[in-house]
Amino acid sequence: MDLIELAKRLEGLQTVDSIAISLGIARRTAVNYVWALRKEGFVETIYGKRKIRMYRISPFKALKFGYPGLYEYLNQNSKIKIYPPYIERIYDHKPTAEEMIVKAVKTGDLRTVLSSLALFNKIKDWTRLSQIAGKEKIGRKIGALYDAARTIIRVRKMDKKTRKSLLRSKIDGKFIVENARTRDLEHIEKMWKVHLPFNKADLEAYKE
Amino acid sequence: MINLKEQISLFKIIGGQLSKKVECIAIGGSAMMFYGVKNSTKDVDLVFLKIEDLEDVKEVLFESGFDERKNVKGIFREDEEAAKPIMMDGKDTRFDLFLNEVIGFKIHEKTIERLKEVHEFGIFTVKIASPEDILMMKGCTERERDRDDAAELIRKFNINWDIILDESSRQTKIGIAAFPILLYDFLTELKENYKIDVPKKITKELIIMAEKRIEELRKKDKLIRVTKYYKK
Repeated sequence: MDLIELAKRLEGLQTVDSIAISLGIARRTAVNYVWALRKEGFVETIYGKRKIRMYRISPFKALKFGYPGLYEYLNQNSKIKIYPPYIERIYDHKPTAEEMIVKAVKTGDLRTVLSSLALFNKIKDWTRLSQIAGKEKIGRKIGALYDAARTIIRVRKMDKKTRKSLLRSKIDGKFIVENARTRDLEHIEKMWKVHLPFNKADLEAYKE
Repeated sequence: MINLKEQISLFKIIGGQLSKKVECIAIGGSAMMFYGVKNSTKDVDLVFLKIEDLEDVKEVLFESGFDERKNVKGIFREDEEAAKPIMMDGKDTRFDLFLNEVIGFKIHEKTIERLKEVHEFGIFTVKIASPEDILMMKGCTERERDRDDAAELIRKFNINWDIILDESSRQTKIGIAAFPILLYDFLTELKENYKIDVPKKITKELIIMAEKRIEELRKKDKLIRVTKYYKK
């Protein structure tokens, strides 16, 4: 079978069973097809709940150059996974958690922001985080998100100097996600003078 | 001719020399290399949405040994001169820099929403146009190798034909009024010469769309001349 045609036919998320059903073939043959597709670079394996293997099949070949972009980085480092709206690659340097948090907040997308909270545990250079956030005018938003993250997950402690610098920083607009406000994290909002886009219940995903 | 690795190196050089953030959209062969559909390309086609961004990249390319081609001929579309690309000639490759439109095909919000890939080279961000958009832009030209590329795109991707119809209709209003005719010609040719599978429904819809638009223009007494673009 022509592998490109096969990749076009199976484009999207699949399991071995769904491939077998959609092509009307045996499970064993479906496994062989996945193997052949992977060899050509058309398959990416992801794990669903209970470690069930899922295959993201696409006629787009996964690029081997550069480093993963925001969405791939978040999916590697956070419990809250995101379906990437597009493929992103970074070429000039290996991305760090510090810049990825800032990038995630800049998207203004609720799930991306929520997913990025896990990255606070990967921060190695708080000063760098403060510098990037300040440059992008989201310093106080980063501070508020850090405090929100601390209410639910174990994160590294931010040094006092960074906290002070974030508190003093100027921001562009008070909303992290447009028109979204919290109901139960108001004390954090008050301290940082920004609006948090989620409630405590939204953070429960980190506990599962 | 350059390959993907060399193209990435060139983008890295541009990214390293820019002084402020610049974004652009890669189209044509350059985009197809990122998709893994093509191994090499003769020219790197980039579309900019801001004139300042285009000027910045042009300056960086000049500093890197690329020279601006002076005798770029005007392209006439429906009696109007379409925007000329800035061509920067290098030793092995050429950069074609477009602003907001490619030979009459207008770039707008929807084109940006459909982008499939984003590549960051420091402060230089290159977004990759969707296969559907690349296919439609190829439809505006008459070069033989553009047909080869378009055929390859249809062979390798699940082209969303609804997007093609939707965009054709939009382009008649914001870009070339006769866009569906050009695309119809192009797709019919691909079907006949390359044995490409283009749904019959699509070519039929394109013809209906074109006739409707031409009738509208005729009523307004606006006659149009349909010309295709030929780039040597």
